[in-house]
Amino acid sequence: MGTQWFEEYDLDGFFDEVVAADGSLRPHYRKVAEALEVLAPGDLSRAERRRTAAFRTQGITFTVYGDDDEDDTGSGTTAGIERTFPMDLVPRVIPAEEWAHLEQGLVQRVTALNRVLDDLYVGGMEIVHDGVVPRWLVLSSDGFTREAYGVPVPQGARCLVAGIDVIRDHDGTYRVLEDNLRCPSGISYVIENRSALTRVLPQLFSGDQVRPVDQYGPKLLHALQRVGPPAAGDSPTVVVLTPGMYNSAYFEHVFLATQMGVELVEGRDLVVEDHVVYMRTTQGLRRVDVIYRRIDDDFLDPVVFRPDSALGVPGLMAAARAGNVTVANAVGNGVADDKAVYAYVPDMIRYYLGEEPILPNVPTYLLWDPDQRADVLSRLDRLVVKPVAEAGGYGLVIGPHATDEELAEARAAIEADPRNYIAQEVVSLSRHPCLVDDHLEGRHVDLRPFVLSGDRVEVIPGGLTRVALRKGSLVVNSSQGGGSKDTWVLAEATVPADELEGAAEAGPEPGAGGAPPSPPTPAEAAGTDHGVDLLGAADAEPRAAGRVPQEVH
Amino acid sequence: MLARTAEYLFWTGRYLERAEDTARLLDITYHRLLEAAPGEEEQAWSDVLVAVGLDDEFAELGRRATAAPVCEFLVYDPANRGSIRACITQARSNARGVREHLAMELWEALNSLHLELGARDLHRDVRHQPHELYGFIRQGVQSVIGVADGTWARDDAWRFFMLGLLLERAEMGVRSLRSRHARHRPDAVHEWYATLRAASALGAYRRRYRDFDPTALVELLLLSPTLPRSVLFSLQGAEAILSDLVAGRPSVALRLLGRVRAELEFADPAELAAGDLTAVLEVLEGQIRDVSSAVAAESFLYRVDLDLHSLHLVPGDELSRDAQGHPLAGVGAAGPVTGSAAGEVAR
Repeated sequence: MGTQWFEEYDLDGFFDEVVAADGSLRPHYRKVAEALEVLAPGDLSRAERRRTAAFRTQGITFTVYGDDDEDDTGSGTTAGIERTFPMDLVPRVIPAEEWAHLEQGLVQRVTALNRVLDDLYVGGMEIVHDGVVPRWLVLSSDGFTREAYGVPVPQGARCLVAGIDVIRDHDGTYRVLEDNLRCPSGISYVIENRSALTRVLPQLFSGDQVRPVDQYGPKLLHALQRVGPPAAGDSPTVVVLTPGMYNSAYFEHVFLATQMGVELVEGRDLVVEDHVVYMRTTQGLRRVDVIYRRIDDDFLDPVVFRPDSALGVPGLMAAARAGNVTVANAVGNGVADDKAVYAYVPDMIRYYLGEEPILPNVPTYLLWDPDQRADVLSRLDRLVVKPVAEAGGYGLVIGPHATDEELAEARAAIEADPRNYIAQEVVSLSRHPCLVDDHLEGRHVDLRPFVLSGDRVEVIPGGLTRVALRKGSLVVNSSQGGGSKDTWVLAEATVPADELEGAAEAGPEPGAGGAPPSPPTPAEAAGTDHGVDLLGAADAEPRAAGRVPQEVH
Repeated sequence: MLARTAEYLFWTGRYLERAEDTARLLDITYHRLLEAAPGEEEQAWSDVLVAVGLDDEFAELGRRATAAPVCEFLVYDPANRGSIRACITQARSNARGVREHLAMELWEALNSLHLELGARDLHRDVRHQPHELYGFIRQGVQSVIGVADGTWARDDAWRFFMLGLLLERAEMGVRSLRSRHARHRPDAVHEWYATLRAASALGAYRRRYRDFDPTALVELLLLSPTLPRSVLFSLQGAEAILSDLVAGRPSVALRLLGRVRAELEFADPAELAAGDLTAVLEVLEGQIRDVSSAVAAESFLYRVDLDLHSLHLVPGDELSRDAQGHPLAGVGAAGPVTGSAAGEVAR
């Protein structure tokens, strides 16, 4: 192809989002590549500096704690350090047909997750009675919140905002890595990254029609208004509840309140009187109907959760139970993004929707099963171990990258409390070209699309592409040194279908030769999801609820 | 609007004004002293400390009131929560707590000022390019206020911001005149030029008066209805804003403010200048401070009476506790405790 940017580009054997295995550019990336062609490395690094300076001036930052590094803003040390979120300017492009597949899969998944949560909290736990998910698993989940039992949520929209982490494996298949159903963050970066890229590198947008993302605010507001308590009528008062400006995601809380044009409140701004929530204004109390909260369950209401929390609102849960206020996302969603419960999501989709899962899981092992545990422990250095209740990459042990001590610790932790951990196959996350000094290098990426449940379940086009900026790293979390990319969903097919097929044939690697992988048909998904048993214990509970990576080479 | 939001905006305005006024005083004093007799220096710096209301705090340090220690103390000393740097940081921090109410341009202007100030070597600038430093601060604050004036819808958010700013300006104006009043002798042209310049009033003075005239100083700095930095002008502006805010509801703050404004509006400059001006100014300072307290009680205390839950942390309580323990509480520089509750538990 002979372009300055991709001449020396090395795939290192990974699935790459831009360059196919034969070294050709994927068709959907051609226009961006053409636009890049006229830019010198200096242009890109200058644009990157402008982007960083703009984010700093605009205060688009997140706060880091327990770190002695230099402060970006000079605003004191006790309150944590404000940092700008690194962004790589080479955009990720998702062709329309690939997106259609993802979108269907995400809508299906979040629909089922809403159903299971409503079932567990107000629906009589049918899925447990029918033996699809074991009762002990639900009851032993940290996320299962007895205080939320029987608390209604209008429309059953319990995951009002869901962030589903999706990765692509070595053959380009999209798989769900994690569901984030509590307070998923990152949407503000989706919108700010786009806005920044259109300013610093407008020429990249010349060739493609990119679907906009800035309609998120109105859509979120609409969804929140739809779940207002019946008494609130047509235009319920919505607020965003933040732990305050020292929270690492404070910028996003401000961003969302601004985008929706609603008040950003802290716990101390709210008061509950007679099971009704009010905010304290300069002219007295004003009733609040819907709270989009960005505070964890534990801190939400000191009367029923942690009594030492000064962030929450005493009496809030009682008000919610009385149906006078709606809390979104619903309290207790953690049970459905418990990483052990995750393994059952494909079964939930079958159970509630009667459909085969469109997006497969990553192969997952449940460690309370003696056989699976023995197998996992015997090859711990080749697997990933995750605590079931943590988010943000905390507590993650990646076998191939771990030291002997780390592996020994993980082994001891698993043996002490097997319910608390899962193991997964190491998925070789797909890579994407990123600017490193004056050239492009591949870095691992994932994708967090945001899914709203209002009148219907819908997905904001694109999502947050997170990049593991360190060479070879698989950890993309912002709290662990990750960066991000602007993520484009193209509005229409980029190339004629016949050209697509040609490109696919040219690739030596089926499914990786330039054509987006075709969505698995329900039959395929069924075939791979069932009977998968890497451990030879086919009669046990369904446990490896993912697809085995198929050997296709 | 949320009571907390109103309070943060009020203090954002106050802190900004305080930073600008401090920079003005330091600039004028520093440069006047270059041409002054050696014996005047300590007196002049003590006056500055009185004008900003931090004389007691400085005395605790046990340092002599000469240029370097006073400028350090008032520009960046981390122990001084009333320093210029602390004011800008707190203005920015308060603004950050209510960002959703600020236009992007305003926030950017304030954040840039904060970042640029943080990037400067203040220790060096205070010694080697004080005029440039103070000019930078003054212009930085003025550009924030200018952006506010040019872009901010005249809603309650803007009103609380301006109310804080104008009350601070009035209070600072009174203290500045009080601290320098004794220095205004007919032969000390240099002194009263400096006083006038600190209030951007020298040009107006020259156009209207010729020789030194103590009545003229009082007329311009205290009672002028046209000079933007006169005490009366600031109070009139504050009253108009407060009157819009209370919108006909009974308000102690408005009554107090209207009374002090009327006293000035109908005062006789010659009588004031001939009498015990220092005593009058002390009373006036107290009256303006009472207005601020009344605004806080009426608008920021979150209607404490409705907090029946013993478990609830009452923000009003927390505020007053903090004000008592605050080094600057006495001079009205004790800002809201931005996010203090959040800070304790936020992870």
